Amino acid sequence: MLKQPENVSRRRLGKRTLTAALLILIVIPATILMGVFFLDDRKYYFISLLLLLYTFIPFAIVFEGRKPQARELVVIAVLTAIAVAGRSAFFMLPQFKPVLAIVIVAGVSFGAEAGFLVGAATALVSNFFFGQGPWTPWQMFGFGIIGFLAGALFRKGWLKRSKWSLCLFGGAAAIVIYGSIMNVSSVLMVTPQLNLQALTAAFASGFWFDFVHAVATVFFLFILARPMLEKLDRIKEKYGLLEP
Amino acid sequence: MEIYRIQGLSFAFPGQEKKALSSINLTISSGEFVTVIGKSGSGKSTLLRQLKPVLAPHGTRSGFIEYNGKPLGEVGHRTQAAEIGFVLQHPDNSIVTDKVWHELAFGLESLGLNVGTIRLRVAEMASFFGIQTWFHRSVTELSGGQKQLLALASVMAMHPSVLILDEPTSQLDPIAAADFLATVGKINRELGTTVIMTEHRLEEVLPLSDRLVVMDDGCIIADDTPQISGRKLHELGHPMYASMPAPMRIYTSVETGAIFSQQLPLTVKEGRQWLLNHFSNGAVEPAMEIEEDLVAADRPIAIEFRDVWFKYEKTGPDIIKDLSIRVPKGEFHCIVGGNGTGKSTALSLLAGIVRPYRGKVLLEGRQPSSMKTSDLFRKFLGVLPQNPQALFVKKTVELDLYDILSDSGLSHEQQKLKVQDVTVFAELEPLLAKHPYDLSGGEQQRAALAKVLLLEPSILILDEPTKGLDGFFKEKLGLFLQKLNAQGVTILMVSHDVEFCAKYGEVCSMFFDGAVVSSGSAESFFSGNSFYTTSANRMARHLWRDAVTVEGVVQRCLNSRKM
Amino acid sequence: MRRDSFAGFHPFVNLAYFALVIGCSMAFMHPLSLAISLIGALSYSVVLNGRKAILFNLIYMLPLLLVLAAFNPLFNHAGATILFYLPNGNHVTKESIVYGVAAACMYVTVIIWFSCFNKVMTSDKLIYLFGKVMPALSLILSMTLRFVPRYRHQLSVISQAQRCIGRDVTQGNFIQKARGGLRMVSILTTWAFENAIETADSMKARGYGLPKRTSFSIYRFDRRDIIVLAILTALAAVVLAGAAWGSNSIRFFPSIAVKGYSPFGAAVYGAYFIVCLLPVMLQLMEEVKWRFIESKA
Repeated sequence: MLKQPENVSRRRLGKRTLTAALLILIVIPATILMGVFFLDDRKYYFISLLLLLYTFIPFAIVFEGRKPQARELVVIAVLTAIAVAGRSAFFMLPQFKPVLAIVIVAGVSFGAEAGFLVGAATALVSNFFFGQGPWTPWQMFGFGIIGFLAGALFRKGWLKRSKWSLCLFGGAAAIVIYGSIMNVSSVLMVTPQLNLQALTAAFASGFWFDFVHAVATVFFLFILARPMLEKLDRIKEKYGLLEP
Repeated sequence: MEIYRIQGLSFAFPGQEKKALSSINLTISSGEFVTVIGKSGSGKSTLLRQLKPVLAPHGTRSGFIEYNGKPLGEVGHRTQAAEIGFVLQHPDNSIVTDKVWHELAFGLESLGLNVGTIRLRVAEMASFFGIQTWFHRSVTELSGGQKQLLALASVMAMHPSVLILDEPTSQLDPIAAADFLATVGKINRELGTTVIMTEHRLEEVLPLSDRLVVMDDGCIIADDTPQISGRKLHELGHPMYASMPAPMRIYTSVETGAIFSQQLPLTVKEGRQWLLNHFSNGAVEPAMEIEEDLVAADRPIAIEFRDVWFKYEKTGPDIIKDLSIRVPKGEFHCIVGGNGTGKSTALSLLAGIVRPYRGKVLLEGRQPSSMKTSDLFRKFLGVLPQNPQALFVKKTVELDLYDILSDSGLSHEQQKLKVQDVTVFAELEPLLAKHPYDLSGGEQQRAALAKVLLLEPSILILDEPTKGLDGFFKEKLGLFLQKLNAQGVTILMVSHDVEFCAKYGEVCSMFFDGAVVSSGSAESFFSGNSFYTTSANRMARHLWRDAVTVEGVVQRCLNSRKM
Repeated sequence: MRRDSFAGFHPFVNLAYFALVIGCSMAFMHPLSLAISLIGALSYSVVLNGRKAILFNLIYMLPLLLVLAAFNPLFNHAGATILFYLPNGNHVTKESIVYGVAAACMYVTVIIWFSCFNKVMTSDKLIYLFGKVMPALSLILSMTLRFVPRYRHQLSVISQAQRCIGRDVTQGNFIQKARGGLRMVSILTTWAFENAIETADSMKARGYGLPKRTSFSIYRFDRRDIIVLAILTALAAVVLAGAAWGSNSIRFFPSIAVKGYSPFGAAVYGAYFIVCLLPVMLQLMEEVKWRFIESKA
């Protein structure tokens, strides 16, 4: 492959990261202020959507700046496509899908960045098939952040490759992170502000859905985690794909 | 001018003593068409990949390769990407993007060309390859042949000066393969692009080739014009000679002695002329009538289609139209025919995956679609899918074999015995500890067959089992099937591979437009066809209509000599 | 699919348009704004999808609107005008009902706009636009879109092959089905990765990774794109200026308050109306032109 001098690429990455940081430090407060003064502080949904989109920017900038190799792109595309197509492997079991489990496994195996990208891309691409909507950014963020956390916590050593550790994380992530994000988004869409009652109602009405999601994720991780991780290890070893 | 000069090239994969390539010397001139053949594992793919550094596998290398007079390592990445075009074996894997137009532009985007230039080149390539009618399509909608053509076009758009192809037609049906090879020939002829390719379909490729390089065990054992290389193989008594075109093999088996110094025939046309000149006195036997019903009444019927009609959707077209076949127990039955004639659908009907809307499908008198899965596929019906990879679950071949017995209720000892038996039968001993995906195509096929055989089928159905196999593995597979057949297993095989069916099949049927149009014993079947028959038969049918295989033609030649 | 005039414009124009209308639809809660946007969305969805759109809007959107409208007053008790008390002691206010209806309208409008978006912004347009800013990520999307149908096909191949060795993954109880599905995903994973390595090779062979990669597209930004984009920008400027001056804002809590009539306000609504109906107008213009051409022929 093309070998750029190490320090050059690192310096460039540093510059890009700096721009990203600046962008976020200036743009995020600016958006919130605009919401407060310009839109009368009533458009939580609109503002939160913008903020959500900003969170994707640093990931995009870092990834693009790194000039990823062909194999990295292929790995992320394959994992994403498996997560999306995996839904059709369970056509006989509605609502019982392995998407989140695959995203978590991706994060653990290939690192936090890959986890985020696989999660976000999975949400985006499956909506190419099922229809985009205002929910798309929320889902992208939800899946993405869980993939990111799986990778980051694994790197920190807080998340283990053991079944129980992954199942615990998966179940908690499905209810606490994904469930919360989607419930908050639906409340923001219809009420002028977040209040406790509306939130409780949303969580209560969404509970059954979140519960099934969590059970599915735990179940899939319980059975899928070990063989999948083994398979991915083999791939990494066989083709010299190390953690990006 | 020389485009490649390879000297003393040796290569070994990491951690392996044995060299995959040893002291290769090869010079290729600009504009040449070079075909490289060899058994799988002979190092031909490894050699091709050494010619394109970004694709060269890791390992220890010695010797040197010069490209256009410069060491290959010193040629810039951009030049390499543009000038050395490489087409891979599986079109499905080599296509990267989801739209035809985007795929065509992919390499040009990498080269950093501006939009105007890309537009022009893409337009040129689409016109040259006749792609313009499906330019806007999704890649998913294309046929296998179209996909491989697209892969070729997207490489050609970069204007390479050398085109390297690694078994490009192994996944295609004969008609698409012939089209593809003709296009490669056209590129070589009309654009002057150097072509280096590995290929199994020698009958189509050799007439196009300037040179034939034969590899064995990492060495080049012959490197000359196809005729001379062929002769050399024959003199060496090399097993690869069995994959040479039928006319050449017939010729060398018949002509021994002085005439041998002449040019060997490569094509059916040349072979036919030679036969005409030397055996025109051989009597033409009267044309046979197509036999109607071959089935002897006393043999019990294993597979029967009785006036079967099928369509996928209520308003859709009929895929199977009034199909009737009867396969007696213990027969080796081959179904040949083009793409989209409904052959695969017929197999789905047999496996009970779909049901006919009229007529009956019967397996030993029972309807497969109403049988329980466990009853149908245990000790009764075995199906070897077209892609054996769809069967593998575990990380070694051995575990995979045990996996299929996991719910059979046998004790561990019994399982072990059965796995041992099937391992010996399918010659899998050295492969047991390997990952199924690390096997070659032919080995995967055998492992999959072993898996199916563990279910002890009495009826075996195979879908295109010779796809992607080289001559050596084909022969092996053929012998396995005959061995099974001799043990009393009824075999029904669907294939494009006319030569294979003629050699190993007992009864052959021609499928067309959803039904069987003719059927007969392999010999009478192929001698009744004029085009859809083996090349040995096409070469000799004006003299001996019933000579179907190479051996058959040779026999008749020798007999007529004696007269 | 029906051919739509607006969909034939450059993807950037398409995206800019949808960003503008969907953004405005979310931000402007004045009943008149809502009505304009809803009319625009409904009529465009009918232009795009014909009878199917009408059915979709009646069967899914109308009930959704009612449910959402009821949701807010049940949980939001702000507002000055108390209408009645719920059995649990909470009160229901006029303001929260009005807000609920407005928010529900907004939500439904946004969904309908998105149904148009899904029809117009095909994946290759989005990938092209992404590719301008994020080439690697957009390539991932394109590859994923190539893989997904392929993997779905392979899943059916696997399912049939497994069935033929007596492992029917679609039968049995819940756990067996789930295990069967996992078995398929597991087989698919190995298959996908082993085959994808060749895909990476194919990318490298065609020079992926060389510096200064460009991006090609079959889209051209021509004069009519410039014209429409200019019109759109001018209208957007008027609408956004109106928003900045608060001429189309509405206050729901504690009591409802809207700005009265003003010529500038009328101009803002007029501009917004043209924006929301722009694609429909373009389509009508094209149809009139065709009638004219055909009548001459």
